[in-house]
Amino acid sequence: MLLIHGTNRVAILNTAVVASQNAPVLDISNLHVRFQSADGLVHAVKGVDVQLHQGECLGVVGESGSGKSQTFLAAMGLLAKNGVATGSAMLHGHDLLTVPKHELNTLRGNRIAMIFQDPLTSLTPHLRIGEQMSEVLRVHQGFDSAKAKKTSADWLQRVRIPEAARRLSQYPHELSGGMRQRVMIAMCMLCQPDVLIADEPTTALDVTIQAEILDLMDELRREHKTAIALITHDMGVVARMCDRVQVMRYGEYVEAGVSEQIFYRPEHDYTRMLLEAVPSIPVFDAELNEVASDANVAHSGRRALDANAPVMLQVQDLKVEFAVPGGWFSAPRKLAAVNGISFALSEGETLGVVGESGSGKSTLARAILQLVPASHGTVSWLGSSLGQMDKLHMTGLRRDLQIVFQDPLASLNPSMSIGDSIMEPLRVHEPDLALSERTGRVALMMHRVGLDPTLINRYPHELSGGQNQRVGIARAMILKPKLLICDEAVSALDVSIQAQIIDLIKSLQEEFKLSLIFISHDLSVVYEVAHRIMVMYLGSLVEMAPAVSLFARPQHPYTRQLVSAVPVADPVKERSRQRIRLIGELTSPMDPTARLRFLPSRLQAGEAHHVPAIDECFEGHFVAEHDALESLLMAPSRALL
Amino acid sequence: MLSFALKRLLTTIPVLWIAITACFFILRLAPGGPFDGERPLPEAVKRNLEAHYNLDKSLIEQYFIYLGNLLQGDLGPSFINQDFSVSEQLLIGLPYTLIVGGLAFALSIIVGVLAGIAGSLYRNRLPDVALGAFILAGLVIPNFLVAPILQLVFGLQLKWLPVGGWGEGAVTHLVLPVTVLALPHVARISRLTRGAMIEVMHSNYIRTARSKGLSDMRLLMRHAIKPALTPVVSYLGPAASYLLTGSLVVETIFGLPGIGRYFINAALNRDYGMVLGTVVFYMLLIIVLNLIVDIVYAWLDPRVRH
Repeated sequence: MLLIHGTNRVAILNTAVVASQNAPVLDISNLHVRFQSADGLVHAVKGVDVQLHQGECLGVVGESGSGKSQTFLAAMGLLAKNGVATGSAMLHGHDLLTVPKHELNTLRGNRIAMIFQDPLTSLTPHLRIGEQMSEVLRVHQGFDSAKAKKTSADWLQRVRIPEAARRLSQYPHELSGGMRQRVMIAMCMLCQPDVLIADEPTTALDVTIQAEILDLMDELRREHKTAIALITHDMGVVARMCDRVQVMRYGEYVEAGVSEQIFYRPEHDYTRMLLEAVPSIPVFDAELNEVASDANVAHSGRRALDANAPVMLQVQDLKVEFAVPGGWFSAPRKLAAVNGISFALSEGETLGVVGESGSGKSTLARAILQLVPASHGTVSWLGSSLGQMDKLHMTGLRRDLQIVFQDPLASLNPSMSIGDSIMEPLRVHEPDLALSERTGRVALMMHRVGLDPTLINRYPHELSGGQNQRVGIARAMILKPKLLICDEAVSALDVSIQAQIIDLIKSLQEEFKLSLIFISHDLSVVYEVAHRIMVMYLGSLVEMAPAVSLFARPQHPYTRQLVSAVPVADPVKERSRQRIRLIGELTSPMDPTARLRFLPSRLQAGEAHHVPAIDECFEGHFVAEHDALESLLMAPSRALL
Repeated sequence: MLSFALKRLLTTIPVLWIAITACFFILRLAPGGPFDGERPLPEAVKRNLEAHYNLDKSLIEQYFIYLGNLLQGDLGPSFINQDFSVSEQLLIGLPYTLIVGGLAFALSIIVGVLAGIAGSLYRNRLPDVALGAFILAGLVIPNFLVAPILQLVFGLQLKWLPVGGWGEGAVTHLVLPVTVLALPHVARISRLTRGAMIEVMHSNYIRTARSKGLSDMRLLMRHAIKPALTPVVSYLGPAASYLLTGSLVVETIFGLPGIGRYFINAALNRDYGMVLGTVVFYMLLIIVLNLIVDIVYAWLDPRVRH
């Protein structure tokens, strides 16, 4: 189940130098992309050059709207209908921009292939995996259906999809996101293309699955000498994967060079800004794990916590169960989305909650705010239990308990101006306030969160993602709450905007002595803001510790694997880090023995209903009972390509 | 799949019952009865007739007698046309209605889907705009207006087609009624197809299919059409019921001997048995059609199969 996979890939950095002496396989020069839009001509890409050599991985970095995707969509002939590309994109002596369509169709999918960001929507929903894969081989290689099927199954096996033959007859919706992205990669590799373009291939995936996918791509590159263009906004991913980096902004390159140069000696201000904005987890030497004294793991670099701060929120053995409807002959079953979580939160403290999708983070937030009913346990706010409170009392209390959601645009009412949205809590909780006072308060709050008060009559669709998230924060803060829950509040934002929003939340916390629960799948972001971090796995707490302690001496195998999978924006450190790998996908939360995944000894002893105990291993550092990592390791049988 | 179909069938039982009940009582609320005419029947005759048809019992008793018969598959007697039971009359009219309705249904789907695909491929260009105008006309002009216009033009002026009548089912006799019946559905289906196609062609999986180097034809046939048909299929259930109700009017206008004519006559004459029988029959037909639609839907989209 678990195995240690150490990779020392510093040597790979040098292969780029060798590779670049050959002629490039893909040579894009002076590429311009223009879109005809209602607002006139938009010049999205302004004269970009890309030389991609055999076997190298080029990182193309930039924030949304920088034109990094459009550059490669243009080369693939996939621009939207209103887009026009000029310049040239040479592949095997063909200019991809000007060849007739039937000729382009013999190249794409065959010599050049592309992986897209969202694996959930990128496969045709009504065609079986096998049909979608083998049509590539039939079209490009003229394979008959038996041969195409066999090759497809081979490739599914190579991208480590278990039971490959059975998968061929499954539909995309029957596979998880990570699996679908592997199918996508296998499909791209069927004809062994010279160039593989990967457009944010892991952005929508959990960090451990991201690590798997990146390793896979890296192996393909070494094994098949495929040139990879990796389009991403994640500097950690770039540090792990890329030999060379090109940084883009407003449709142009601001800087290009080999990885070490970009990371250690950036020349352009924008590159420096990008690198500084990237939140990063601390990397500790393995020895520190043993010697880390409590002094080392104090809240270095973050605002100290007042030791005498009163406890605001107390959560005791909280469980949230959902009924999963049964079939004709099976009784409904229970799914424990939150399975016995306890913690306390003091005034001015930030608790980070991390876990992969399906770990129950968001359900925990909703249960704390009584937005979903808890099936067991208590949530106490300032000593009084919220579960027993009548509706009227609860409504009054809601002014103290606020939440900011992930998708800023979707969580604002599109038919209300942002001023109305921010003002609405005031109407409910302070109905006596005169209109002028309300407007004054809204303007003040808008100013405080960095929104120009003249935007007060604008609608959400007229604002950017970052501005809308400021609206969400202003709406939550207008009543001066005492608890703010941020549920993936910065996950949808570009890194520079993300950094600004994090700064804003921190400064609001200081000003209002807010207690914060900061939920994210991104460990680096959580490390940036949290005093303490809780790690969740399938609804259960696996580890909770002061932020630095968690990264300096992670105890639980799951935490160790999670921490080791986070890419660090430093090529040398990143490539020499030891990775702990968990093979396979999450166990189903429906499985009653899921919480014993890290305690197989109990399972073997027949104690299927054992609840792992929580121990305090260092001061304030709690960890769930688990078997030793070494005993969890199986023979390192990872099949290499 | 089977349990899915079974579940759907079971849920239709209460629907059917509510509709029958409502229909039964509403019909009785209307003034007059089957034996009221311009010349009143002698009291004794009327009483005998009413006793024969159980009309002298309380309304509730009549209701339960009707339900009881219905459960045994007996739609009861016709109150006016004593020579035939309701079931017999329905069976006589059914073939005509099914032929005209079925042809109109097929025509709506084929022409509608093709026009929709053409509209999406030539989006905002001449074929699309022309189709759009035609479709708007089909939607806004009611069939009782379209029918006489077509009769006038093709029947009386150009003399290409007969104005009405069954004519032993000759194709020329079918053209006008089928066209009139299908027109609004061609319009609606083509709109639905066009919209769905445009959306599908902008989807991520079509972009993936393009990146695989598939030809436009393959892209359309294998990747685009099936998902674009799902909204069309979900419209087919309601479309079938519109077609049936539309056939009532169209059959009368073109003088076709289908069920529709019986129904209208029966309603005018307060033929309780016939009206109720037709309603029950139509409902069963619509339920079966909707069931078929649901099954086709599941075939089109593997995600709803669970």
